[in-house]
Amino acid sequence: MPLQMRNGNESHFMDAIADRVVTDFGHPETFTDDPSLLTVILDLNPLGWYNIRNRTTVKEVTKSLIVFMNAHLSLNNSNRVAFLTASPSGARFLYPNTMSDQKDTANTLVNRGMYRQFRIVDETVLLELNNEFQAVAQTELTDYKSTVSGALSLALTYTHRMLTLDESISTTTASAISTSTNVASNSSAAGAGSTGASNLISMKSRILVVSPDDNDDIRYIPIMNSIFAAQKMKVSIDVVKLGSKDVSYLQQAADATNGVYLHVQNPEGLIQVLSTAYFIEPSLRPLVVLPTNSNVNYRASCFVTGKSIDLGFVCSVCLCIMSIIPDLGKCPTCQSEFDPNILSQLRRSPAVLPRKKRKVDPPNGTPAA
Amino acid sequence: MDSDEEYVAAVDRDSSPEVFTDDEDLGGRRSRGKKSGSSGPAAADGGYSWEDRYKRPWDIVKDEDEAGQSLENVIQTMIENRKKKIMKNPTTPFQRGIIRTLIVIIDGSLTMLEKDLRPNRFAMTLQLLQEFIVEFFDQNPISQLGIVMMRNGVSNLVSEVNGLPQYHIDKLRLLRSRQHNRFEPKGDPLLQNSLEMARAMLKYNFGTNMDDNKNSKEVLILFGALFTSDPGDIHKTIDNLIKDEIKVKIIGLSAQVSICQQIANKTNNLSSRTTGANSSSGSNYSVIMNETHYRELLMDCVVPLPVAATEKRSTVGVPLIKMGFPLKVLPPISASNNTVNLDLPVLCACHPTNGSLESKDAVTIGAESSTSIIGYQCPQCRSRVCHLPTICPTCGLMLILSTHLARSYHHLVPLREYKEVPAADHYESTHCYGCLLKFPEAGGPDGPLRASSRYRCPTCARDFCIDCDVFVHETLHNCPGCESRSGK
Ligand SMILES: [Zn+2]
Ligand SMILES: [Zn+2]
Ligand SMILES: [Zn+2]
Ligand SMILES: [Zn+2]
Ligand SMILES: [Zn+2]
Repeated sequence: MPLQMRNGNESHFMDAIADRVVTDFGHPETFTDDPSLLTVILDLNPLGWYNIRNRTTVKEVTKSLIVFMNAHLSLNNSNRVAFLTASPSGARFLYPNTMSDQKDTANTLVNRGMYRQFRIVDETVLLELNNEFQAVAQTELTDYKSTVSGALSLALTYTHRMLTLDESISTTTASAISTSTNVASNSSAAGAGSTGASNLISMKSRILVVSPDDNDDIRYIPIMNSIFAAQKMKVSIDVVKLGSKDVSYLQQAADATNGVYLHVQNPEGLIQVLSTAYFIEPSLRPLVVLPTNSNVNYRASCFVTGKSIDLGFVCSVCLCIMSIIPDLGKCPTCQSEFDPNILSQLRRSPAVLPRKKRKVDPPNGTPAA
Repeated sequence: MDSDEEYVAAVDRDSSPEVFTDDEDLGGRRSRGKKSGSSGPAAADGGYSWEDRYKRPWDIVKDEDEAGQSLENVIQTMIENRKKKIMKNPTTPFQRGIIRTLIVIIDGSLTMLEKDLRPNRFAMTLQLLQEFIVEFFDQNPISQLGIVMMRNGVSNLVSEVNGLPQYHIDKLRLLRSRQHNRFEPKGDPLLQNSLEMARAMLKYNFGTNMDDNKNSKEVLILFGALFTSDPGDIHKTIDNLIKDEIKVKIIGLSAQVSICQQIANKTNNLSSRTTGANSSSGSNYSVIMNETHYRELLMDCVVPLPVAATEKRSTVGVPLIKMGFPLKVLPPISASNNTVNLDLPVLCACHPTNGSLESKDAVTIGAESSTSIIGYQCPQCRSRVCHLPTICPTCGLMLILSTHLARSYHHLVPLREYKEVPAADHYESTHCYGCLLKFPEAGGPDGPLRASSRYRCPTCARDFCIDCDVFVHETLHNCPGCESRSGK
């Protein structure tokens, strides 16, 4: 048999491979009226809101968000919303709420004549938001780290349930059966190229984060894990950034999940922004150029100093990021010893490549350009 | 050719008639790749797929009716199976050589048309490989992969070494769509050429400025045939592989072949010749029993190879890599002018030959209009590249998205397992903390529950349902309860 590698036969092969299969691209699935879940996360960081007190208040923003949620509900009868807060007292669901589900009693917060679905959502959110304020008032604010990562995690677990489980089944045992059989039928079918979970109801989903917090000092790993999970589930994370500057982790969250990131500097017109830029349904995302007003900064955060960096050193065992070469020659996270040769190579300041010897080049003269 | 001198002792548990194929000059025997522990449900009750009784879906249901309260049992086992799946992720922090370059060699010879896997071996292989690629890049975010096919006595390049999952999937899809005409399995396989080709591809991983021994170099062979027709001495190739520290893993589709065992053992530093049956859990050469087993073996290759203790001492230390986290430059759209002009051409440094003759075999992936004008800017030299991860073509800096790195942090700090709450008369929690699903109540009409259906995080003491438990440990890698607490 002739030894035949990387020669004629192969390029022939490559030509054929290179032909474009027409059906591969540009056919976003037919547009159906699939219900869609909108999860709103409101960051109640007191400092962040205090800093923008001259421009807007939680009350104003909440008003806009409620209108936005109602608009979402009105698009499709089966559309759903969820509302979470991330505050110093913790991250939690305001709607749906496991406590106040039953009581539909006299409540004067919202006009009684309102469309019932709107009313339930609006009432619950407002009531619980009040409770949340009281809880925040009683919490000490020292050493507060944003709980947005928790709110994102909760939003994702909830979304996961809405995406995969049939609504009508209400107990865990029953749902365990239904998913297990799903899995079984999936693996036995063994074809059709479906790697995702088979959905009983095909729900679309997205998350909207509203944050006034300018602080980049976050729980880096949990946020990254959440972004990655959202990416895998094809859930977009949209971000409304209030406050005075861009925050790179929220930019990354939106960018990695095909979400919209906007730095809204004039929050008075928030409802206008929400109902235009943020109203793009997930199914339409591949077709439109998403609105944006900034370049995305993919800076990472240094594990040693906590600073955000754009050029760093990475341990090849644990992939932790360092802004400086550790003095001990050891990874601060996993303790593995670094190769001294490579260390000295890296320490050697600006690596100038040895000039290639060419006869025409004068040894130290000006380059003949 | 001397690969047929020795047979590996066949371990045949259920004394099925020996299959003895005499293809050309090489014989092979079926031997059971006994894998303790990791055998899935189908492997446990099955055996070879061709030995199986035909199973009808309703048979499973019938069993339930006969054995009284078995519905509960069935559910319990289902739940336990799911739990077991979680357990597969080791809870102890484990160091792994995470930057990998893997060449997958697929068999495209005539034997791949056998129909013992449905619809045939080749189609099934491509199908599974596609899943494998998705999973591989999930778990090995900055690794790269290439695919070679051996067909008709020639080794063909299917996809170049590349870190983009979509690129490989598109190539495989093309291969799949043409498997019935142009790329139909044909002729003989040849291991030597393919291995040499893989070796050549691995030489240039991560650019040429990187030292060779910096990352884990692996070859995975999906081998359907029982022989190989090599042009030269394959043992020389094996020696070269050892010299280059390339580790070869082989999954056999039909039976054990001695030469495969040798390749796998020698390249993985196993001095003593161990048979597939008793080599340790990370067996480097196994033969599939059925489809499920095939999938399992393939998915085992997703997990990064552990950095062996001996290996770590022999080398001086692990490499520290300089990396850049580039700025994503978006197309300039100003809201002020009404007409948004997106046709501004931007040059990238990584495709200087774009549009020229050489670029003909480079399939343009992700050619949607919006992405093509988005670029990433190297923080060191400000050149612009069009996709990541890559090595800056100008200054040689490795460019990566911080999100790519973060994908593997869950290997570092694994999440603690949730503990099942024992059945009791009263529970504190009524709803799942993660998804707000209502738990079954304790005081139901049938008396106390057999199982509480609650799984509690040992750190934050929140209760979760089984679905959230699985989701949190397999996908999210954050405990929503722990993350939701304020403070530290
Ligand atoms: Zn490390
Ligand atoms: Zn390019
Ligand atoms: Zn550069
Ligand atoms: Zn749950
Ligand atoms: Zn927890």
